[in-house]
Amino acid sequence: MSVKYIPVQWNRFKWYYDAAMLAGVAAFLWLFIHIAPGLLSHERPINPQVHNARAFGACAFVMLSIILASGPLARLDRRFLPLVYNRRHFGVLTAFVAVTHAGYIIDWYFAFSKSNKYEALLFANTSYGQIAGFPFEIFGVFALICLLILATTSHDFWLKFLTAPVWKRLHYLIYAAYVSVVAHVSWGILQDQRNHTFTAIFLASAGVVAGLHLLAAFKESRDADPVADAHGDWVAVCRADEIEEGFAKIAQLGDGERVAVFKQDGLLSAISNACAHQNGPLGEGRVVACFVTCPWHGFQYDVRTGRSPAPFTEKIPTYNLTVKDGVVLVDPKANPPGTPVDPVNPEGV
Amino acid sequence: MDKKPFFVGYLPIPEGLRAFLISLTVSLVVFMAFVGITIGATQDDPGNGAFRFDWRQQTVTGVIEFVPYPILRVTEGNERIPAGHTLMLTGQGKSTIRTRVQPMAGDLVALTGVILKRGELDMMQVAGGNRGLKKVDGPAPDLPAPEPLGRWKLAGEICDGKCLAGAMRPGRGLAHKACANLCLIGDIPPVFVSSQPVEGSEFLMVAGPDGTRLPDRAYDLVGAFVQLEGDLERRGDLLILRMDGDTMELMQ
Ligand code: FES
Repeated sequence: MSVKYIPVQWNRFKWYYDAAMLAGVAAFLWLFIHIAPGLLSHERPINPQVHNARAFGACAFVMLSIILASGPLARLDRRFLPLVYNRRHFGVLTAFVAVTHAGYIIDWYFAFSKSNKYEALLFANTSYGQIAGFPFEIFGVFALICLLILATTSHDFWLKFLTAPVWKRLHYLIYAAYVSVVAHVSWGILQDQRNHTFTAIFLASAGVVAGLHLLAAFKESRDADPVADAHGDWVAVCRADEIEEGFAKIAQLGDGERVAVFKQDGLLSAISNACAHQNGPLGEGRVVACFVTCPWHGFQYDVRTGRSPAPFTEKIPTYNLTVKDGVVLVDPKANPPGTPVDPVNPEGV
Repeated sequence: MDKKPFFVGYLPIPEGLRAFLISLTVSLVVFMAFVGITIGATQDDPGNGAFRFDWRQQTVTGVIEFVPYPILRVTEGNERIPAGHTLMLTGQGKSTIRTRVQPMAGDLVALTGVILKRGELDMMQVAGGNRGLKKVDGPAPDLPAPEPLGRWKLAGEICDGKCLAGAMRPGRGLAHKACANLCLIGDIPPVFVSSQPVEGSEFLMVAGPDGTRLPDRAYDLVGAFVQLEGDLERRGDLLILRMDGDTMELMQ
C-alpha cells in the first residue's frame, strides 16, 4: 500500500527472504566456482571464463525454475505463499545473474576478433535454417531482454502506471523467457554433453515447473469459484449462513469479474475479489484488525467502503447486496471503486 | 474456509507457519548448494589443448607456404619443434597472420611466437613486430614435395584450429560453434577432427578444393558431426584435407 514510491518498502520478512535468497545463490555460485574445479579430474582446467559463465547460467536457470514453481505451489498449498510474497526481488536478482552469464560469454567467445563483440554475437553464426548448429545464442538474448524488461518494470511505480491487468500480462513474459532459456540450453550446452548429470537436472527442473502448472490448473478447474445464479437483476452468491465471521465467499459474476462477500462484526459486505495491487484474490484473504487483508502482499481494505485505510489511497469496487430467504443476493453492477455500501444483516432485511 | 495460518508479510509470522517456513528456507538453500556443486563437478573434460606459455616463446626457421592458410615448414628447429615439422600459423586473437607473412611466401624466415598444442596438433601464434617475423639471409632450401594420399571419405567435426589447439577450453562442439565461426571468419586455419585416425593422425588441416579456403557451406556445419569427402595430402608432417563442399552431410 504505497503512499509514495520509494524503491522498496522493507519489512522484517523481506529481509529474511532476501537473506535466504542471497544465501542460496551465494552457496550455488561459491561451490560451483571455487569448490567444483578441485573435484574435476581434468588434465587441464576449463577456462575460468567458461566455468564462471556456466556457473551463472546454471544458477539463473535454477532461480528461474524456483520462481516459476513457487506460483503454482502457492496455488496448491497456501503455506507456500510467502515464497511468492517477495518474488520480485528474486526476479531482479535472476536478471543480474543472467546478465553476468551473458557478460562472461560475450567477453570470451565473442571477443578477440576485429569485430565489435555485440555485432559478432549476431553475425558469427547465422545458420537459422537448421537444427544442428542453430544459433542458440539468440534464445538467450531474447530471454535476457525479457528478464531485463521484467526487472525494470518490477517496481510498484510501473504496476500503478500500467495498471494491474496490463502489468500482469506484461509479466507473463516470464514464461516466454523460461521457454526461451529451455531452448537456449537445449540447443547449446546439451548438444555437447557427454556427462548427462546436468541434462538430468535440467529436464527434471523444467518438468517440475510444467507439472506444477498443470496440477495447479487442474485443481483450479476442479475447485473453481461457483458462478452466481441470476435472480432477476441480482445474482445469488451463497447462503448467508455459509459465511464465517472474518471470511468471505467468492462467486463469479457473468462478466468475468468476481465478487467476495465478507462477514465482519456479524454483517455482510460485498467487494470486488480483485486486489488493487496485483489483482490478488481478496476473498481468499481474511479480516485482520478490522480490515480485509489480501493474501498475496497484505494490502488492506475497509470492506464497507472498498478503501484502504489512511494514509493509503487504494480503492476497489463495492457491490450492493441484500439477503432474501437466507440467500445472499448481489447486484452484479459494481459500484465505482471506493463507494461506501451499508453492511447487511445476514438474517435478512 | 481456509483455517490455515494466514501469512501477512509485514506482520509477525504466524506460529503455525514458522516451522514450515524455516524448513522451506533451509531446504531451498541446501538445494541450491547441492545443484551448484553437482553441476559444477560433472562438467566434461575440455581436452588437454593449451597455450604453452611454460615453453616461453619459441623461435624456429623455415619456409612459409600458403595452403591457402599460412603454414611454416620448419627447416631448422629445436628440441621441441624439430626440422621437418609443419606448424600452422596464426596472429593474435581471432586474426590471421596472412597479410604479414604474404610478402615472404617461399622465403626462408625465422618466426618467434608462443605455441598452442593439443596432442599432435600444434600452431604458432606469431609475436607482433619484427621480433616475430624475420627474413633469414640465404636461399630457401628445397623442401620435399607435397605427397598426395588419394581421396578420402571421413566422419568428424570441423573446428577452428586455434581454439581446438587450446586457445579455448572447451574449444569445439556446437556450444562453441559461433566462436569457431568467428575464428574462421578471421581466417584462422580450420581443422578437421576425424572420428578415426587418418594416416596415424586424428587432426587434419581442412581447406577447399584447388587451393581455396574452407567452402562457405562448411560454416553452417562447423562443430557438428559431419561426413565429407576430399583429397588428402601431406606437407612435412601435416595432413591437409581439401574437402569437397558438395559431399558434406550432417550425421546423427
Ligand atoms: S495483490 Fe498484492 S496485495 Fe493484493
